Amino acid sequence: MLLEARNLHIGYGDAPAVWDVSLDVDGGEIVSVIGPNGAGKTTLINAIAGMLRCRRGTLRFDGADMTRISAHAYCGHGIALVPEGRRLFAKMSVEENLELGCYLGKARAARAQSLERVYGLFPILRDKRRQPAGELSGGQQQMVAIGRALMARPRIVLFDEPSLGLAPTIVDDMFEIIVRVRDEGAAVLLVEQNVLKALDIADRAYVLEQGRIVAQGLPADLLKQPQIREAYLGV
Amino acid sequence: MPSATLLGQALISGVLAGGLYGLLAMGLSLSWGLLRLVNLSHFALAFLAAYLVYELGTSYHVAPWWSAAMIVPAMFGIGVAQHWLFDKFRVNELASLLITFSFAVILEVGIQLYWTADFRRYETEYSTKSIKAGAFFIPVLDLTLCIVAGLLAWGTWLWLRRTYVGKALRAAAEDPGIAAAYGVDHKRLAYLLSGIGAGYAGIAGTFIALIATLAPAEIWAYLGVVFAVVIIGRLGNPLGALLAGLLIGASESLAMAVLAPAWAPVVSFSVLIVILLWDPEWL
Repeated sequence: MLLEARNLHIGYGDAPAVWDVSLDVDGGEIVSVIGPNGAGKTTLINAIAGMLRCRRGTLRFDGADMTRISAHAYCGHGIALVPEGRRLFAKMSVEENLELGCYLGKARAARAQSLERVYGLFPILRDKRRQPAGELSGGQQQMVAIGRALMARPRIVLFDEPSLGLAPTIVDDMFEIIVRVRDEGAAVLLVEQNVLKALDIADRAYVLEQGRIVAQGLPADLLKQPQIREAYLGV
Repeated sequence: MPSATLLGQALISGVLAGGLYGLLAMGLSLSWGLLRLVNLSHFALAFLAAYLVYELGTSYHVAPWWSAAMIVPAMFGIGVAQHWLFDKFRVNELASLLITFSFAVILEVGIQLYWTADFRRYETEYSTKSIKAGAFFIPVLDLTLCIVAGLLAWGTWLWLRRTYVGKALRAAAEDPGIAAAYGVDHKRLAYLLSGIGAGYAGIAGTFIALIATLAPAEIWAYLGVVFAVVIIGRLGNPLGALLAGLLIGASESLAMAVLAPAWAPVVSFSVLIVILLWDPEWL
C-alpha cells in the first residue's frame, strides 16, 4: 500500500475534527472521500499533506512513518497537495508558483522537463507565465495549483475540493485532468463535494460524516446504498 | 527663490543623504515584509556598529573597511541570535515591535554607559574629500555609500527574484503553510534573513560612523523617516526601499533649501501620505 492511515485522530485546539479514520491509497488508483460540508474532509487531507499534526494513529507513506517527520519534509517523500481555494502565491508570477512546486532536490533538477509537461497540459499558462498568479481567472488558478503539485514529481496528489467555485464547463476539464494525473503514474486522493463526479472517476471511495468513516467500497456499490443515494444524490 | 546652483547642490546632497535612509530601510523592510517582524532595534544595531567602527578606528587605528569586515559578520551572528529569541518565544508582528524597542533601549543604554552621551566624531582622511563636478561638489563618502547601497539593493532584489531561496522566502511570506507543504523550511530561511538584515545594519553603521556625528540618542533620529521610507518602498522590496530613500532624501533637502531647515521632517511623512492616498500603480 502506498498510503496507509490507521486510526487517525486529528483536531484543532481541544476539539478533534476527525476520529479514528483509517484509509488506504494504493499506487495508480484514484480514491475519493466524499461527505457533507464540515465532515472533516479538509482536515483529513491537510493532515496527510503534513500541514496538521495527527494526535493519534499512524500515517505511513511507502513504508515511512510520516507522523515523525516535519511538515516541510512531506513533499520530498512524494506527497503534493492541491489545496482548497487553491492558495496560490498571489503576488508571485505563474512560473514562480510552479517553481515553488519543484523547490526540493530531485524535483528541482527536473525543473525544465516538468515545466514543459505542465505547459503541455495547460497551454494557457505558458502565455501567462509572467503574470501574477492572483490576476488569473478561477479556472486558470486551479491549473496553476495542479501544475505546482505536478512540478513536485509526486507519487500521490491530494486534491482538496478542486471543483469548488469553478464554472461547470471547467469542472469537467478538471476531473479529466485528475484522471490523466492518475494515468501518468501518480496515485490520487480526492476530496469532493461534487459526489457524482468524484465517484464517477474513483477506483474506490470513502464516505466521511462528522469526522468518521461511515462507508467505503467501490463507487458502484456505494451508489446502490439507499442512505447514500438519499443524502448525496437526493433520490 | 534660491539659485539654480544651490538647488542643484541641495538635490545632490539630498539624494546622497537618502542613500543612508535606503540602506537603513533595506534591512528593516526585509524582516518586516518577509518575516512579519518589525525590528526597531535595527537602528540601535547600526549605531552599535558605528560606535565599534569609531572605537576601532580611534583607539586601535583600524581602517574603517577592515572594521566593517569584522563587524558585519558579527552583526550577522547577532541577527541570528535575535531570531532565535523570536522563534523560541513565538513572537508575532505586534510583540516584535515592543520587544525590539526594548532591545533598542538596552543597546542605547549600553552604548551610553561605555561611550557616554558625548558627541563623537570620527575624522578620517576621507571625511572632507569631494569630487567637483561642474559647479557641484560630491562628497566621496556619501557617494561611496550610495554606490554600496545601490549594489546591495540590486543584489538583494536579484537574490529574492532569481534564486530558489529568495522565491521560497517570498512564498512563505504569502502563505507559510503551503510553502512548507512544498518543502520550504521557513524557520531556517528566517534565521538566514535575520542575519542578513543585521549585517545590513552593520554596513549602514560603518557609514554612519564615517559620515555622521555619533550620540546614543541619535539612534532614534532615523526612526520616523526610515519607517516612511520602508512603507513607501513597499515591504520586502529592497530596490523600493533604496529608491524611496533617495526620493525622501532629495525632497527633504529641497524643502530645506527652498523653505527652511525646520521643514525637513514634515516632508517624509507628507510624501508618505500623498503616496498612500494616491497609490500609484507603478509602485
